[in-house]
Amino acid sequence: MDFAGKTVLVTGASRGIGRAIATAFAGEGAGVVVNYLANTEAAAETVAACEAAGGDAFPVQADVTDLAAAARLVKEALDQFGRIDVLVNNAFGPYRFDPETRKRHWELDWNDYQRQIDGSVKAAHGLIQAVLPGMLARADGAIVMLATDLVARPSVPYHDYTTAKAALIGYARNLAAETGPLGVRVNTVAPGLVYPTDASRGTKQAMRDAIASQTPLRRVATPADIAGPVLFLASPWARFMTGQTLYVDGGLVMA
Amino acid sequence: MTEHPILAARLPGMNADALGHVTQTYGPADAPVSIALPKLDAAAIAAVAASVKTATRRTLKTYPVARIVDTLDAAIARLLDRAHPIRRQMDRLLPRLTGYDADMVGLGLTRYLMTFRKPELLRFLAEDFPNPAILDGFQPLPKGGYGRAYGADLTAHIWAGNVPGLPLWSLAAGLLAKSGAVGKVPTAEPLFAGLFVDALAEVDPALAECIAVVWWQGGEEAPERALLEAAELALAYGGNAALAAIRARTPITTRFLAYGHKVSFAMIGREALDAAKTAETARAAAYDVMRYDQQGCFAPHVIFVEAGGRSSPERFAGHLAQELQAFERTYPRRALSLGEAADVAAWRAAAETSPGGAVIGDPAGLWTVAFDDGTDGQFSPSSLNRAIRVVAVQRLEDVAARVAPYRRLLQTAGLACAPDRLFALSAELGLAGVRRVAALGDMTAPEAGWHHDGRFNILDLVEITEIDGRALPTADRLAAYVD
Repeated sequence: MDFAGKTVLVTGASRGIGRAIATAFAGEGAGVVVNYLANTEAAAETVAACEAAGGDAFPVQADVTDLAAAARLVKEALDQFGRIDVLVNNAFGPYRFDPETRKRHWELDWNDYQRQIDGSVKAAHGLIQAVLPGMLARADGAIVMLATDLVARPSVPYHDYTTAKAALIGYARNLAAETGPLGVRVNTVAPGLVYPTDASRGTKQAMRDAIASQTPLRRVATPADIAGPVLFLASPWARFMTGQTLYVDGGLVMA
Repeated sequence: MTEHPILAARLPGMNADALGHVTQTYGPADAPVSIALPKLDAAAIAAVAASVKTATRRTLKTYPVARIVDTLDAAIARLLDRAHPIRRQMDRLLPRLTGYDADMVGLGLTRYLMTFRKPELLRFLAEDFPNPAILDGFQPLPKGGYGRAYGADLTAHIWAGNVPGLPLWSLAAGLLAKSGAVGKVPTAEPLFAGLFVDALAEVDPALAECIAVVWWQGGEEAPERALLEAAELALAYGGNAALAAIRARTPITTRFLAYGHKVSFAMIGREALDAAKTAETARAAAYDVMRYDQQGCFAPHVIFVEAGGRSSPERFAGHLAQELQAFERTYPRRALSLGEAADVAAWRAAAETSPGGAVIGDPAGLWTVAFDDGTDGQFSPSSLNRAIRVVAVQRLEDVAARVAPYRRLLQTAGLACAPDRLFALSAELGLAGVRRVAALGDMTAPEAGWHHDGRFNILDLVEITEIDGRALPTADRLAAYVD
C-alpha cells in the first residue's frame, strides 16, 4: 500500500490505537497530521515514530469536540500539507474501560451519553464538515471511523460509549450513501478489546484471558493489529467498498 | 535520560558510600538502567556478616514466629499494591533489567507474591512442622523429651539466574527459621532482593537489619570464602559446576544445601485432546512455555502427547504453535543474546533433520515448535527461549521410563489427564525422580510451601536442640517442692 504523496489526518493520535495508525501510514510514505488533545509529549513521540517509520508528520493540538477547533485543525493541516486525502476519526471522549468500576445502566445520566456522543459523533461531524469540501472538489477521498465490536456483542455493557459508537456507524453508513456518488468512501473499523492502551489498562488479565479464550485467533488485539484494516480501507485496494464495518477482533464477532 | 545508578546492595551497619562501586548498565539502549554494585572485599563481607548476626540475636531471635509471619505479610501486602513506590520500582525496572516483557513480569510478580501472604506462610510452616511453636520454645517430642528448632545465626544465600523474585523463597524461609541472611545477588538480576528488604524495612526496620544484600564479581573467591566462613548454613543456586566450586570453598563446619539446575516436562493424555478441549489444553501448555521464556527450572523442555485422542499429537502441535504465536503478540519474548539465538537455531536445525521430526514456525519467528512422531521419542533438553518439542507417544504410561535416565535433573511434570491416571502416573514419575506434578498451565507457579526439589523449605534450615527424655525426671529430684 503506497501512500506516498498522500496526507492523512488521524485524530487522537498521540497514544494507543491512534499512534499505531499514524505510524503505519507514515511507514507507507504518507504525510500524517497527528492530532492530540493535551499530551504534547506523547504527540511528539508519535511524530518521532512517524518520522522514524519514513513518513512526514506534524502535530496539531485541538479538542475535536469543539467545532471551531476542528475547523482550525483542518485549516492548519491544509496549510502544512495542502490537501487531506484520508481522514481517520479515532478520537473519542475520555473513557476508562474497567469492567469492575463501569457505571451500570441505572447509574448513568444523560450527560454520560451526551459526552460520548459528542466525543464520537460530534467530533466526527465537525471534522468531516471541514475536510469534505476539499475531498469533493477532487472527487476523491477516504474516511475511516473507529468504532467497537461491542456494538455487535456487548461483552461488557459500556452503555454510553457503545451507544455513541453505534451511532457513529449509522452516521458513517448515511454519509457513505451520500458521498459515494461523489467519489468519497466512508468505512468503519470495529476493534475488539485492544490492550495495552491508556484507556484499557484497567481491564484486568482475567477479563483479557476470558475474551482471548473465546476468540478464534486466541488473544486480544494490540494497537498495531488495528492499523492494517484502517490502511486497507483508506487505500485503493478497498476502492469498491463503502459503508462497511470491518470487525477487527480475532474473529470474536463474525458479521 | 540518565538516572542516578540504583544501589543493589543493602548493608546494615555499614556506610555504603564509603565503598567503591561497579556501575553496570542494563536494558535497551533507549531506556538503560544503571545499577551500582558494591565492591566488597573479604574484610567487608566479614563485617557485614557480624553486623547481621548481632541484629539477628537482638531482634529476629526474640520474635515469636507469628510476629515474623505478620511482618512478612505486611511487607508482601506493600509489594502487591501496584501503586506502592517500591512495587512501582519493581514494575518499572525489572523488565528493563531482565529484558522480559513488562506485562509478563508484572503479572508474574503478583501471582508469585500472592504465595507469600500470611495464609500461605502459615501453610509453609504447617508443611514442615506439625507444631510450629517448636520454633518459639521447647515442645514435647514424640520419642520423649522436648525439642526446639533453631535456625542458623547466619545463613548465606547465593542466588543465580534472572527470573525476578527468586531470592524471596529462601529469604522468607530463612526468616521463618529466625536466621539472619547475607544474600549474594546474581549480576543478571541484582535488584529484587534489595527492594524486598526495603519493603520489610518499612514494616519493621529492626528486622530488615537481619538481612544484607551483597554482590561480588562471579569467580571472585575471597569474599565468597569470607561469607561461607561466617555462615553456619549456605544455600546456593546455579549450575552444577558453579555449585561444585562453591561447595569446595565451604568449610566443613558450614552446612551446604545446593539447588542445582533442574528440567521439567509436560504430558498430555488423549482425554485432554477432544474437539472442545484441544485448544484449551494447547493454551495452558503454551502458557508454561511462554512464562519467563522457559528460564525457570519449572518450564517444560518437552511435551509428551498421547496418540489416540480426537486431536492427533501433530494436530496438537499446530494448536500449540498458534497459541505461542498469540502469546508472542501479548507477551513478546525478550531480545536474545547472540549465543542464545545460536542455541535456538542449532536446536531447530537438529529437530528439522532428526528422523520423524518436523518443525513448525518461521525460522525468523520468536518461538519454535518441533514435532517428533515418536521415531526418536526420547527426552532431550530444549534450547529454551520458547523452543518446545512435542513428542508423540502411544501411552502416557511409557513416559516415566523415558525420563528416568535424567532422574537427578528432573523436577516438575505438567499433567493433563483424568483423575484416575493422575495418581498412577504420578507414582511412576516419582519413582523416576520427578518431584512435582502440576496441572498443565500451573507448571511455572508452584504453590506456597511446596517441597522445593523434594526437600523441606524451613525444616532443612533448622537444627533441633533437645532436652533428653531423662533430664526432666532427674531435674525433678532437685526441685525445692519435692517431698
